[in-house]
Amino acid sequence: MTTNNRHSSSFRDPSGFIFIDQGVVKRSISPLYFEQYQALKSNGVFKKLHNAGLLIPHEELSVSDSEIIIQPEQIPFFTYPYEWSFIMYKAAALLTLKIQKFALEQGFALKDASAFNVTFYEGRMVFIDTLSFDFYTENTPWRAYKQFVSHFLGPLLLAKYNGVESLKLMNTFMDGIPVKMIASMLPFKTKLNPFLYSNIHLLAKYEHKHNEDYKGVSKVSKLSKKAQLNIITSLYDFIKKMSLDESSEWGNYYDKTNYANDAFDQKSTIIDGWVKQLNTNSVIDIGGNDGTFVRKIHHNVKQALVCDIDNNAVDANFKTLKINKETYMLPFVFDVLNPSANIGFNNKERDSFLKRIQRYAPDVTMALAVIHHMTLSGNIPFELSAQFFSSFSKYLIIEFPKRDDSWVQRLLNTKGEFKAHFDFYNIKHFESCYTRYFDVIEKVSIDNSEREMFLLKSIHD
Amino acid sequence: MIHFLYFDPGLGAMIIQAIVAAVAGVVLFSKNLMFKIKSFLGITKHDDEVFDDIDVKDSDIESKSHSDNQQ
Repeated sequence: MTTNNRHSSSFRDPSGFIFIDQGVVKRSISPLYFEQYQALKSNGVFKKLHNAGLLIPHEELSVSDSEIIIQPEQIPFFTYPYEWSFIMYKAAALLTLKIQKFALEQGFALKDASAFNVTFYEGRMVFIDTLSFDFYTENTPWRAYKQFVSHFLGPLLLAKYNGVESLKLMNTFMDGIPVKMIASMLPFKTKLNPFLYSNIHLLAKYEHKHNEDYKGVSKVSKLSKKAQLNIITSLYDFIKKMSLDESSEWGNYYDKTNYANDAFDQKSTIIDGWVKQLNTNSVIDIGGNDGTFVRKIHHNVKQALVCDIDNNAVDANFKTLKINKETYMLPFVFDVLNPSANIGFNNKERDSFLKRIQRYAPDVTMALAVIHHMTLSGNIPFELSAQFFSSFSKYLIIEFPKRDDSWVQRLLNTKGEFKAHFDFYNIKHFESCYTRYFDVIEKVSIDNSEREMFLLKSIHD
Repeated sequence: MIHFLYFDPGLGAMIIQAIVAAVAGVVLFSKNLMFKIKSFLGITKHDDEVFDDIDVKDSDIESKSHSDNQQ
């Protein structure tokens, strides 16, 4: 009965699979994995990992000879590795290593180290693949070591040395970035670092050397637990210290400002009032920078997705939510001109942004100071952006910077002689296009600025 | 072992771990030594404000540490 709704991403590991039962995500465990599952349960490993907030909690629903069914805590909105900022990615890598070390100490080991085993949930990175654990066999190397390098260490190194956009490579290389490619892309100086030389360059060489051993008769390699712990700990220490040294276009956005302080406060008061008036539970702030405006909402929002194209803004948001111990905030990297697509086998393993956000259906979408970028930098006509915004939320709070706004002027000036082609960028045309998809509920000008705030309600359901 | 059914760990990656571990051992040893010297001289840096150490704290395991969250 359960196999009918098997989730389209859940086929790699024969230990079990995810299925959807009347909208609820459940996990079926095959007899192949019963021994491991029972041992993890009776040794309290699951419980300890749940308590420490490292592994998604689950409850056991049924046990039979042919199948055990568990129900994990439901995660309302999934983000994928290619949507994480650098620090979020680091957090996922460190979580995986932490779990591997803990598992080793309990006599278990992670049998895989995929970045897709982790997602962001309630203020932290959490491990979601309950069936990733296997018994540890004394003196065996870590089977998931190469996977860890190609899923975590490699992407982080590429982000550091080749630009943070490299993290998006995970969108193409779902099984991890090939080690050989990582090695080829890193600068020469990384060969002089013993840690990087052994973990990347030498690994690439060894992999190349041994990948033609089709007979599979090679000697069993041995590695003591102490030695494996050294690998895990040194990876942890190295990754923990990694940082980016690039400055951001938007990092100091609110300092640069087109806003007098009063206008800033007025804008947040307007938003707060509307969010309260609509009794909002969930919100997505598109182009939300570091979450500044969402944090100014006093109304108790249960979950706020805050996405921005700028890695540094998302990093800053993640740091803030960690320090404040916020659980309602969900930051991620997002390019409104190119949202994540459906990818993987049958194009069904990882859902597109649109599919996920439509399922999630946040009560309110916020688009503050973003429409001029979409329209003037991205050349997206008002009709299309209106259609986009109306496709997943009932309400839209949108800020329209008028033609005389200094940012708009700056963007228009970049058009040079074609500036006249963008005469359509005016509030009248904006309203006429948006009212095809929305009813205007309220409209407020921000004092001493060239900006107008709209509260819109979608016409279609 | 069940994981044999699942994916190829890479033969080279299995063999190389002995070397990687040896390098890691040296790196960790010298780091610990530096840490001891630095703390003796009183110049250790304060803790990372976002990331903690690799070890799972006992207090986290026993109590529901993440249930004290607001919102």
